[in-house]
Amino acid sequence: MAAMLEFDHVHFGYGRAVILPDLSFTIEKGDMVALIGANGAGKSTVSRLCNGLLLPSKGHVRVTGMDTKKVRTSALARKIGFLFQNPDRQICKNTVYDELAFGLQVQGVSEAEQKERVEKALETFHLDPKWEPFTRSRGERQRIALASVLIHEPELIILDEPTTGLDYRECTEIMEYVTALNREKQTTVLMVSHDMELVQSYAKRVLVLSGGQLLGDGPVRQIMKDEQTLHAAKVMPAQIPALALRFGDTFSDVYTVADMVAALEKERG
Amino acid sequence: MIEISKMGFQYSGSDRMALRDINLTIQDGEFVGLIGVSGAGKTSLTHTLTGMIPHHYKGDFYGSVRVNGMDTVECRGEDLYRIVGSVFQDIDSQMVASVVEDEILYGLENFGFSREEISERLENVLDTLGIRDLRYRALSSLSGGQKQKVAIAAIVALRPQIIVLDEPTGELDPESSLQIFRLLRQLNKEFGITVLIVEQKIMLLCEYVDRMIVMNEGAIVFDGPARDVVRHTSTFEDIGINVPRVVTLCGQLQKKGLYNGQVPLNVEEGEKMVREVLRGGRHAGI
Amino acid sequence: MGNILEFVPGDSFLHRLNPITKIVLAFLFCICSLLSNNLLIQVGLLAFLMIIAFAAGIGEKAMGLLRTLLFFCILMIILQLIFMRGGVGYLVLPGGFPLVTSDGLYYAALFTLRIINATLPLLMMFAITQMNDLTNAMVNRLHVPYRYMFILTTAFRFIPILAGEFHDIMDAQKARGVEFDTRNIFKKIGLIVPLCVPLLVSSVKKVDSGAVSAQVRGFSLRTRGAGYKAYPFRLGDLLALLLLAAMIVLLVFFG
Repeated sequence: MAAMLEFDHVHFGYGRAVILPDLSFTIEKGDMVALIGANGAGKSTVSRLCNGLLLPSKGHVRVTGMDTKKVRTSALARKIGFLFQNPDRQICKNTVYDELAFGLQVQGVSEAEQKERVEKALETFHLDPKWEPFTRSRGERQRIALASVLIHEPELIILDEPTTGLDYRECTEIMEYVTALNREKQTTVLMVSHDMELVQSYAKRVLVLSGGQLLGDGPVRQIMKDEQTLHAAKVMPAQIPALALRFGDTFSDVYTVADMVAALEKERG
Repeated sequence: MIEISKMGFQYSGSDRMALRDINLTIQDGEFVGLIGVSGAGKTSLTHTLTGMIPHHYKGDFYGSVRVNGMDTVECRGEDLYRIVGSVFQDIDSQMVASVVEDEILYGLENFGFSREEISERLENVLDTLGIRDLRYRALSSLSGGQKQKVAIAAIVALRPQIIVLDEPTGELDPESSLQIFRLLRQLNKEFGITVLIVEQKIMLLCEYVDRMIVMNEGAIVFDGPARDVVRHTSTFEDIGINVPRVVTLCGQLQKKGLYNGQVPLNVEEGEKMVREVLRGGRHAGI
Repeated sequence: MGNILEFVPGDSFLHRLNPITKIVLAFLFCICSLLSNNLLIQVGLLAFLMIIAFAAGIGEKAMGLLRTLLFFCILMIILQLIFMRGGVGYLVLPGGFPLVTSDGLYYAALFTLRIINATLPLLMMFAITQMNDLTNAMVNRLHVPYRYMFILTTAFRFIPILAGEFHDIMDAQKARGVEFDTRNIFKKIGLIVPLCVPLLVSSVKKVDSGAVSAQVRGFSLRTRGAGYKAYPFRLGDLLALLLLAAMIVLLVFFG
């Protein structure tokens, strides 16, 4: 079976500026992957190449085997749910109900089914159908945007800097919805972020991008402890792994607060 | 000095108080961080200091806000702007010019300083903020971090006694955010400028501010040195704000009776804490 | 396409002219192009304009602008070719009907050049003038109220910001499956109209935060004399204006 997402020797540039020289990686169904890197590393470019908003100048991007160059963005949109960092760009209707129904409408879903799915989404995301999105808080707008993305039941969810502009509670809320989908429906998730604490809490696998090149690719626990790679990519490591690294081999298995407490209890006997 | 007493505010057209019973005194030269979930009233509080509330945003105002003894409701906004400078989150829309130099000149020209004075201040601020090489660059060609530095420079050039920043790092990556905090600390230490910064990045606040204020539902919940404030991990959790992981770790170690020293605020201090716990272990072993 | 009103930095004689001189020159040049019905003179004017552009180091920009303008003139050219039926016919169709005529060609060329000669100078003016300088000079020298000039500059500054915003909004909508790539123009318009809502919301927010930011930096305190940079009129300004005036006089009598 084809992989959920495949970058096959992708080259991308604007004019003379090369952003991605030659990028290849594959993401299988059901994975939860974080793409990290400093600003300008090419993270946004990668996310926009996934859903055909950008097309590779050389090489191929395939989503469930479909080449993004050969299918329309609307066909890709059925497979991919894309949450932008600014919900205001996504929301364009005056009530939450219309907003949620709009996406289904453009994809030609029948009215009866629209109603059913919107009602389900309203319940899941604790939204009031009569709310006017533009008068709600940033966090609520982001939740509305997320609901309108997930209502399509996408196979792949892309989160572009989901924490920007959100407080910790709103951010956790968003991540919990996505994690539940990943767990229950094996929905694949690709999150673009520079918040290492967030990555550590939610990702299973991490891709480290720097200057358009993949510096690291591995399980989250391995990358978190890979000081050299993180440093080279100008990414600040998460606190507990960074703390554990300061003790050489003593805490080689420590990644989380719970790990550290357990390890210290053991040391103390 | 900022003195806020029994202050409350309700935006006209809103059905709830944006700020409730705020009592707060900030001395000259303090570096204060303000944190809270969105809708907690952080931005509204900064607006009361800059006079935007109630001069620009109308509503019902209770109590009093005094900046250097001036009542912000009664005084002219213009007199307040000379003392309090503001920097905002939305980087692009707070700019008024298209070239760095013009952006810095804008406020200086408005306040009517003499040509010599403007020239001196301009040169000075370019060096202080380390942006001399950006002087003639178009703002549109700068990175977010560079633009935010220019925005701060434009304010610092006016030599305010107080700078109020509303989530200035909201759109920046960790590295640029760190640079902004370093810069603010430098301005605070070298020139004694009072800094009040609204910020979601708790780790940066812990590392840099002298005093931390936590707001929730329009009121102040905690106010004190960062170390004393972050100790209240469970309240933080209830409100919906995170604390640095080393603080969480400290809380759990304390609960288990493994540690009773001071709360660590960063990885270095966390290391000290863990070493102390380890030492205790060896002593116990002997 | 980039932003056609974008400033091109430089230090040429044109860049150094007084901003007011620049805007007056641009208008005088427009008048020149409207005064003449002679194709050769129009060609000459355009050549003159391009020489100036290259000498001022904005040649590439001017060529770009020229291409953009030509694109907008295509419809005009077609109409002229179809409806001007006098003169010698060329490309005669089997029924004896000439596809184009000499008159058609002549007028198509004339009107296109005229439009270009009347628009290009203004666009070039923006390429060599900072909006800030234009504002300050207009306020200091011509006593235009600062408030109006500030609104004008801000409007110009917001064009690229809003264009970027609109692009991002389009992307967000494409990502949720809205088919902007439809061939049906009416359907396409129907899809784009709702996007005005988010664009409006974000513009209002941006304008408000821009206003607040200007206000706290003493916007309302600004006086006419405020301004660090001086905008004196120099000999160069006078010479340039005289040259254009002479051109106009010549065209009035001999054009």
